[in-house]
Amino acid sequence: MRARVPALVSLAAVAAVLCVLPFTLSDYNVSLAARVGIFFVAVLGLDILTGYTGQISIGHGAFMAIGGYSTAILSRDHNTNLVLTMLAAFALCFLVGLLVGLPALRLSGVYLALATFALAVSVPALPLQWSRFLGGRDGVQTSTTVGDVWLYGAAWSASAILFVLAWLVLRGRIGRAFRAVRDSEIAAVASGVELPVYKTLAFGISAAYAGVAGSLFVLATNGFAAPDEFGIALSLQILIGAAVAGLGSLWGVLAGAAFVGLLPSVSSSVPVIGSQHGQDVVFGAAVILVMLLLPGGFAGLLAQLRRLKRA
Amino acid sequence: MASTATSRLGGLRSRGAALGGVVPPVSLLLLAGAAGLFVGSLRSSVFAQLTVQGLALGAVYGSLALALVLVYRATHVINFAQGELAMATTYVAYQLIKWGLSYWEAFFATLTIAFVLGTVLELALVRPVQHRSVIAAVIVTVGLFILLDGVVNWIWGGDFKFMPSPFGTRVYHVGNVSISRLYPGMFVVVIVSVLLVWALFRFTKLGLGMRAAALRPAESALVGVRVDWMLAVGWGLAAVLGAVAGLMAEPSQFFLEPTLMQPILVYAFAAAVLGGLESPTGAVVSGLAIGVSLNLVVQYVPAITSELQTPVAFAVLVGVLLVKPSGLFGHREVRRV
Amino acid sequence: MAVNRRKLGSLVGVLVATAVAAGGAAASQQGTPGVTKKQIVIGGTFPFTGPAALYKTIPAAEAAYYAYVNAHGGVFHRKIKDITLDDQYDPAQTLPQTKKLVQKDHVFAVVGSLGTAPILSTWTYLNKRKIPQVLVATGDAYWGECARHKCAASKTAKPWTMGWQPDYPGEAKVYAKYILKTKPHAKIGVLYQNDAYGTNYLAGLKAGLGSHKNQIVDAESYSVGDSAQVIGAHVVALRAHGADTFVIFATPAPTIQALVARTLTGWSPLTLVNNVSANRVFELAAAQNGANLNGIISTAYLASPTTQANLKGMKLAKAIIHATGNQALEQSLAQGDGNIVYGLASAWTFVDALKHAGRNLTRPGLMKALRNLNESGKDTNPFVYPGMTVKTSKKRAFPMEQLKLERWSGGAGGDWHTFGKLYSGVH
Repeated sequence: MRARVPALVSLAAVAAVLCVLPFTLSDYNVSLAARVGIFFVAVLGLDILTGYTGQISIGHGAFMAIGGYSTAILSRDHNTNLVLTMLAAFALCFLVGLLVGLPALRLSGVYLALATFALAVSVPALPLQWSRFLGGRDGVQTSTTVGDVWLYGAAWSASAILFVLAWLVLRGRIGRAFRAVRDSEIAAVASGVELPVYKTLAFGISAAYAGVAGSLFVLATNGFAAPDEFGIALSLQILIGAAVAGLGSLWGVLAGAAFVGLLPSVSSSVPVIGSQHGQDVVFGAAVILVMLLLPGGFAGLLAQLRRLKRA
Repeated sequence: MASTATSRLGGLRSRGAALGGVVPPVSLLLLAGAAGLFVGSLRSSVFAQLTVQGLALGAVYGSLALALVLVYRATHVINFAQGELAMATTYVAYQLIKWGLSYWEAFFATLTIAFVLGTVLELALVRPVQHRSVIAAVIVTVGLFILLDGVVNWIWGGDFKFMPSPFGTRVYHVGNVSISRLYPGMFVVVIVSVLLVWALFRFTKLGLGMRAAALRPAESALVGVRVDWMLAVGWGLAAVLGAVAGLMAEPSQFFLEPTLMQPILVYAFAAAVLGGLESPTGAVVSGLAIGVSLNLVVQYVPAITSELQTPVAFAVLVGVLLVKPSGLFGHREVRRV
Repeated sequence: MAVNRRKLGSLVGVLVATAVAAGGAAASQQGTPGVTKKQIVIGGTFPFTGPAALYKTIPAAEAAYYAYVNAHGGVFHRKIKDITLDDQYDPAQTLPQTKKLVQKDHVFAVVGSLGTAPILSTWTYLNKRKIPQVLVATGDAYWGECARHKCAASKTAKPWTMGWQPDYPGEAKVYAKYILKTKPHAKIGVLYQNDAYGTNYLAGLKAGLGSHKNQIVDAESYSVGDSAQVIGAHVVALRAHGADTFVIFATPAPTIQALVARTLTGWSPLTLVNNVSANRVFELAAAQNGANLNGIISTAYLASPTTQANLKGMKLAKAIIHATGNQALEQSLAQGDGNIVYGLASAWTFVDALKHAGRNLTRPGLMKALRNLNESGKDTNPFVYPGMTVKTSKKRAFPMEQLKLERWSGGAGGDWHTFGKLYSGVH
């Protein structure tokens, strides 16, 4: 499945809406919209790894943690400009992703998934051990905090930039190599694709995206990075987002991000169940329903619709 | 996901032959470990206490790990919700006891309910998606995890609930070692359940059918095995093992709350993977090993503090996987091109 | 060039509409948010689900008290509406929930939120907007230390944040005094949670022991969510280091597990338990699982619904809880659930402050009332331990600074009984 790029017109329309939105929504809803933007970056990153090279990762919360803590620590100790910290997070997580991608070459399928699960469980425990530098259970606070509109702008600008970056990477040689790896590793090797390079590269890029999402995530939590925020639940949420998104569709990523970004907050408004602290019941049921009805995710639905249109 | 033709060497031959297929160094390592535990227990009462406790909890990890392996062998899905399912069935037992049943009556009633619940879940949630996308099936189990957690919190609330202890609070004194009756009790109940399930697979026609359906679904269907039902029964049995794990985990934590099985699930995953996802023996043995090692490490290796425990455990796991990518007891996949 | 009038017209219309909407949103509400002639809207975040869910009787009790106040006409004819949201003890959820309370529900004040890390993740946001974050349900010293000046936890003062219960380091010092008095050569083993809550307790114990602090032979830390197995292993480790005195600075779940582990391994040291885990309901649970409780020590600052059931305040508590119709809550109170008394007492203080803030209710007015509390004499809080006062002033940022030691007796169905003198100036 080739990456479908929406027509420029629809992209422009989306961009226009995004620019106008913060002025028409209440503060609270702007923060929700920012949250969707953050998940957009993370889900896009995971989609590159899983969707395009077929390597499953349930550990992206760990990369978000690394990115988030980088921002918090740089800001706390050196008063670094927040945008610079996001660039630092991107670079650092890219390197870490490469490092993780190397041993990942030995593992496949389920075993890789479980190894990344191990990562997701272990990395948030590290600040507890080196608590002097990493803040322990009580976390690290940035020196400056940002408002909802700044966050919204940062999240969606990052989404736009990173989306363009992804599109450029995926449409070129690297993208073809990725897809070859996913479809058949053996055939890819036979055609001269150097597996280790591309598989590791995919991990690096994917982790870098998660790192930026992590920085934004910490800023969204008022600049406060704590281990509890990056538990396995976060990794599972990104995975759910990627699954709901499906493969190879930008609109799918948007749908996936909106699903995991908005649904938990909206769930509490559901009558009876929601008000009695049953948000998880609604969210869990929604996830199951979506996957049963759309196993190919939103992208799969769009592909079906397109086929119907052509028929 | 990459679709490759695989052949699993010796996956479902009789238990004895499978053990013989295990790489000798692993069995030697285990024997050495067991000997070490025995000697250590004789020399130090603290060591003995930790070993007994570790084996009991390890049995629980092993039981849940075995449930994961059963499900994986049958349907190639990692059931993220296995732990929450175990927890939910334990709450069912709690409710039955509150309604007047005795502990053991509730125990067996819960196992039955768990079996039914497991089969229903396979039919309703896994069957529809499994053939189209394995990832979708896994996400369905993640959704189930969230849903079950939500339902239990919603119905019973998130605070403590107390269940009568199945084994009482008597403490045995062997030499100068105090061993609560709880731990041998847990160990025996779990191991008996595991052995019964093993016997089912090994000696009954149903078990043979299940093994065949998991290994060669197309061929089994041709000889009249109802493959679909076999898979559902596999899930049902896994749910029963999970229920046993949950019912034995609760007295070890001293109270029931919705997060009961979450730490146990983490170690069960480790045990299942360590043992090789296709190996039932591997799962149980790894569970026991992890249970005992965790206890001993906390006591005798102060450098590995409480916070580092899980990371170190997983670092070891990943290390093992890198050396033996299909787990200690697993078999290498041969890909036919 | 001809301009399409219609297009221009609709564009102008959109721009105007947008401007109006933006303007409407920007226009500040007349008067104080959350306060109308008939109502005061407050809110708080609590762990209704997740690892700290056993504290949920606190918000339930607070809601019961507000219902009682509303049934008696409210405060200056205003009824109190309390919106409680679940944050699962996860600071990443506390902030969005708090934002919801502020931006969607427009609460007057954030009252009673629970948990050190959750408060730390939201206090910058609330203080910046000058929104009261008061009577927080945690005993960390920050809520007093950082009120007027910058402190270890904050570069700027946080005057809008305030605690209520006696602080943890102070409580630990009382235990230190007790140990030095009754067992001067004690070899102390400490089990503590590895976060600010636990480390502050441990620091307080060390400060209280002074030159005797090397009598602490071992301190074992654990993480929230550790299993009973791990806690048990820590208990064994403490004993192996030669400790004959066991101090537990832990939340209820690990405390229960530690108490049981200690008995099951045949160890019977002098045991001291921090008061958040001294709720009778939790001790009964430990006993049910085989813990031998006789002789364990803790502290109290609330009246007991079981041993002091005849106090006017405890009878009032029973009536208030009965009026909710919530049987589980009533049963819990009958068993001695101190968290219910805590919730009632804290809510009482809030209503007391509302009354003193006057009919013209503003946020600064509320803070002024809270910083000048004087619940003593005729105005004593009926739910706190008889004789204790709840006071704040320019010099005193913590409303409660008194404790009484208590000891458990009566075995598996027993209870706490206070003894000794009243410790004041605890912090």
